[in-house]
Amino acid sequence: MKRVGVFVCHCGLNIAGNVNIKEVVDKASKQQDVVFAVDHKYLCSEPGQTLIKDSIRQHNLDAIVVAACSPAMHEATFKTIAQLSGLNRYNCEIANIREQSSWVHEDLGKATAKAHITVHQGIQKVRLNEPLQPITVPVTRKVLVIGGGIAGIRAALDVANGGYQVYLVEKSGTIGGRMAQLSETFPTLDCSTCILGPLMVEVFRHPNIKLLRLSKVEEVKGYIGNFKVRVRQEPAYVDEVNCNACGECAKACPAQVPNEFDFGLTWRKAIYTPFAQAVPPAYVLDANNCLGLLPQACGECKKACDKFGTSCIDLDAWPRTHELEVGAIIVSTGYELYDATKLTEYGYGIFPDVMTSMEFERMLSASGPTTGEIKRPSDGQTPKEIVFIQCAGQREPETALPYCSKICCMYTARHAMMFRHKVPEGQAYVFYMDIRAGGKGYEEFVKRCQEEKGLLYLRGRVAKVYEEDGKLIVKGVDTLSGKTVQINADLVVLAVGMVPSSESHNLASKLKASLDANGFFSEAHPKLRPLESPTAGIFLAGAGQSPKDIPETVAQASGAAGKALDLLSSPTLEREPTVAHVVGELCSGCSMCIPLCPYDALSLSSEKLAEVSEALCEGCGTCIASCPSGALTLRNLTDEQMVAMIEAIVE
Amino acid sequence: MDDLEEGFEPKIVGFLCRWCSYAGADLAGTSRIKYPPNINPIRVNCSGRVDPTLVIKALASGADGVLIAGCHPGDCHYTSGNIKTLRRFKLLQKLLDQFGIERERVRLEWVSASEGERYARVVRRMTEDIRSLGPLNWKKRVEVLA
Amino acid sequence: MQSYLYFPGCSLRTVARDFDRSAKACAHALGFELKEMQGQLCCGAVLSNVDDNLMTKAGPNRILARATQEDHTLVTLCAGCYNVLKRTGLHAKLASSSQQKINTFNEETFNGEVDVIHFLEILRDRIGFDAVERAVKAPFKGLHVGAYYGCLLLRPSGEMKFDDPNRPSILENLLSRLGCTPIDYPARTDCCGSYLSISSPGNIQPISGAIIRSARSCGAKLLTVSCPLCKYNLESSQLLESNGSVPDDFLPIVYFTQLLGLALGLHPQELELDQRQMLAIRETPTLLIGGGKK
Repeated sequence: MKRVGVFVCHCGLNIAGNVNIKEVVDKASKQQDVVFAVDHKYLCSEPGQTLIKDSIRQHNLDAIVVAACSPAMHEATFKTIAQLSGLNRYNCEIANIREQSSWVHEDLGKATAKAHITVHQGIQKVRLNEPLQPITVPVTRKVLVIGGGIAGIRAALDVANGGYQVYLVEKSGTIGGRMAQLSETFPTLDCSTCILGPLMVEVFRHPNIKLLRLSKVEEVKGYIGNFKVRVRQEPAYVDEVNCNACGECAKACPAQVPNEFDFGLTWRKAIYTPFAQAVPPAYVLDANNCLGLLPQACGECKKACDKFGTSCIDLDAWPRTHELEVGAIIVSTGYELYDATKLTEYGYGIFPDVMTSMEFERMLSASGPTTGEIKRPSDGQTPKEIVFIQCAGQREPETALPYCSKICCMYTARHAMMFRHKVPEGQAYVFYMDIRAGGKGYEEFVKRCQEEKGLLYLRGRVAKVYEEDGKLIVKGVDTLSGKTVQINADLVVLAVGMVPSSESHNLASKLKASLDANGFFSEAHPKLRPLESPTAGIFLAGAGQSPKDIPETVAQASGAAGKALDLLSSPTLEREPTVAHVVGELCSGCSMCIPLCPYDALSLSSEKLAEVSEALCEGCGTCIASCPSGALTLRNLTDEQMVAMIEAIVE
Repeated sequence: MDDLEEGFEPKIVGFLCRWCSYAGADLAGTSRIKYPPNINPIRVNCSGRVDPTLVIKALASGADGVLIAGCHPGDCHYTSGNIKTLRRFKLLQKLLDQFGIERERVRLEWVSASEGERYARVVRRMTEDIRSLGPLNWKKRVEVLA
Repeated sequence: MQSYLYFPGCSLRTVARDFDRSAKACAHALGFELKEMQGQLCCGAVLSNVDDNLMTKAGPNRILARATQEDHTLVTLCAGCYNVLKRTGLHAKLASSSQQKINTFNEETFNGEVDVIHFLEILRDRIGFDAVERAVKAPFKGLHVGAYYGCLLLRPSGEMKFDDPNRPSILENLLSRLGCTPIDYPARTDCCGSYLSISSPGNIQPISGAIIRSARSCGAKLLTVSCPLCKYNLESSQLLESNGSVPDDFLPIVYFTQLLGLALGLHPQELELDQRQMLAIRETPTLLIGGGKK
């Protein structure tokens, strides 16, 4: 038997104006187990809170019902007062007689009648509440960062500087990601590698960061604070520590492959370094394109290394498995480009002089396929007339991507400017629908470009690109003048959209993190919680969550790191205990509940009975409604409590 | 229904999910939108918590109607609880048909946290519909004396 | 013999009889039959999909309601009829309240129960191009043919789903099976100008003329189409250009069923091919009249 106290708030006239407070107090005091009932003008105020505390003590209350505003407002406040007064915080219930009674019903009598019911419901519930304790889980104070682009790099550095161990897992042979492939960055035209390089070196040198290149996550088990991750690391066949990047191995290697760093515009050898400033600064042997390792078909690289280098090649290396234990995971898997061959109107893949923006970017780069000179892929000549098509395959829900990739207006402006600088006698045309230049300094930069001589911005779309007599005929429209436009161009550059990394589907199912309709990692709330996945303990940074530019990526990465640091700041973690619970004696092991849980919190125990992982359970109650034996209950919202509340309503 | 009592006031039990529909109902309150007091809300974490047997219990105990309100599909705070509610609701409707209970008495509505006006409209319409249907009178219509 | 319910449309009964007859002859040679549906009326051409005015949709809906009485599939040849009827069928499945209005007005009910397909889809999907190739008795010897698709077969691509809207290949695939060398030219999916030939004929010349020039410059000896209006526009633009007389480098336009029929061993008369068309098909050297350039 509980000793329940009921406190009814006037809330000034907000409640008292349309509900007969005296009547509510009176009726409540007559309910079963209620030993004390009182009203107050403002229960959330200092005197109001004191009243509650004193009453609990004086009347030896062990549960309270506060009839006031919505629990969304002050539930936490009142629960804390209860706790400070020696009660278990779960012995406090809120009866909402303001937002859902006094403020919405016209007749005072009817509003009061409803308030009676609401208070009665609260009493019935609190009578049956268990005094729950928060669930404490230990926290492994290490962090896993998946993806070594600028987002992963920034997040890893922030966590490592915060004093914790970080594992940075990267699928390719080097960190740096897309930013390493850029020539300059807008709007400052900073050299990308120059600003990225020092950060990459910092990661490499940091005592708290363990960099695992050529690695992918294979399996993730556990829950927030306690993840167990298995990572598979492919062999580089080159000792990272001893390789001095002399390049003798590559000279000797006979196998040539298109270089993915340059989007296939150049060749590399099977043993290679992804780019000059790669971190770790060691070569990698691409086993898929090597002439053969099992059995060894060639071995020239090893011979060269033994003769001229540091003897650091081991052609018998095997993949390694790392079993990592971490408390938080940051996902920064970045983006790839939309497949431009699908845009059949532009002829990418058919006409060699139609390029994607990233291919053009590599061409602009001093370390790229043409050492920074702009040339037509078909005949190596310098293009004089160049057409940039923005929104290629984007903002087109019917046939391609529905969304905007945010950065294309800016980098196209930069590309057009760079073209003008490198080919002063050239003419550039930019076909656009809108110009999105929302960041700091962006609008000014675009304005500069639009006013540049030899650079013409045309508001309209391109219907078709085809080849005729060695030129690319671009047929478009200029909506501002209302005329169709035909440009006989030498080169066409498509600003194609950002799509999430091809690894994200696989990774999302391993992490049990959700993806949105476009395949990007979902955030817990689009406005207020953009850094976390709905799955507890998993944080998001960079373009893997949604298209964004570098400043936003870095900001988000630091934010995600902050969240991870917050998680790690104490050795244990508290979770809400209002979770599902299986009464073993009633469970028949039918397993109907198990597939329903979105968090995989239900499983079959060794005795073939349902079992709830309290740390994973978020307390939604979907499984409870499915149990045919009534073995599953939701703590403090049991079926018994539900029935008691229903009866309080219908009596 | 034959015995329409004078000034019959329907009694409606509401199961509102805390993240969307309860918040929507709160918004109706803060916006001071008026609706009939016949609905009595019970706050659940997710509409998925609502076991169809609880709905039947409500009707058998004297409710004239039951409203289950959840997040719009795709917006469920717990990913897909509302979808499961929808599946159960479809089966529940078939059960109600077999009992001879009008489908209008038990409703599943999607109300988001920003839809205060919509919540009020739903409650108004449901109250009026059930008022014209008359009291459920479960004992008389459904219970078979053993 | 497999029989397909068939809607010829207005033009195929009059100015484009050759299209209708050649198609029926090909069908027979390939072992199926085109059975005309009962209760035909004009489909309204492109007017019915131009705006939301439900009156313009009454006609095509009535056609489909009647077709439902006889079969689940309706075959068309004319690209215009294909476009109108297929899209009418799709809209009937989706938009319920306006569909109800149309059904009430028509007093004939249609709710999307009929699949509208094109003759080429029978060849490709139901008979298969392999079987068509096997039936070829008189293959062409690498005849340079340009396939002209125009708009209505392909667009709007989300609804028509007939082929890739920018790089279609169904006609070229068929033509290569017949022994032709299909010519790729950039304007093969450009609009011919459609009903501008009636409302402002002077504007057809630049539009269709550009298509002819594009095809000719890429080496086509003739063009093949699936629409009587396209044929009319492409031919008349050439005549307009030379003030009404037939120019020396006139590019004949034939229906794809006429080429198919020839390859299947049918007689040109049966396929209603004229002398000029046959000359182009037999590839008499162009030195013949006036010696134009390629």
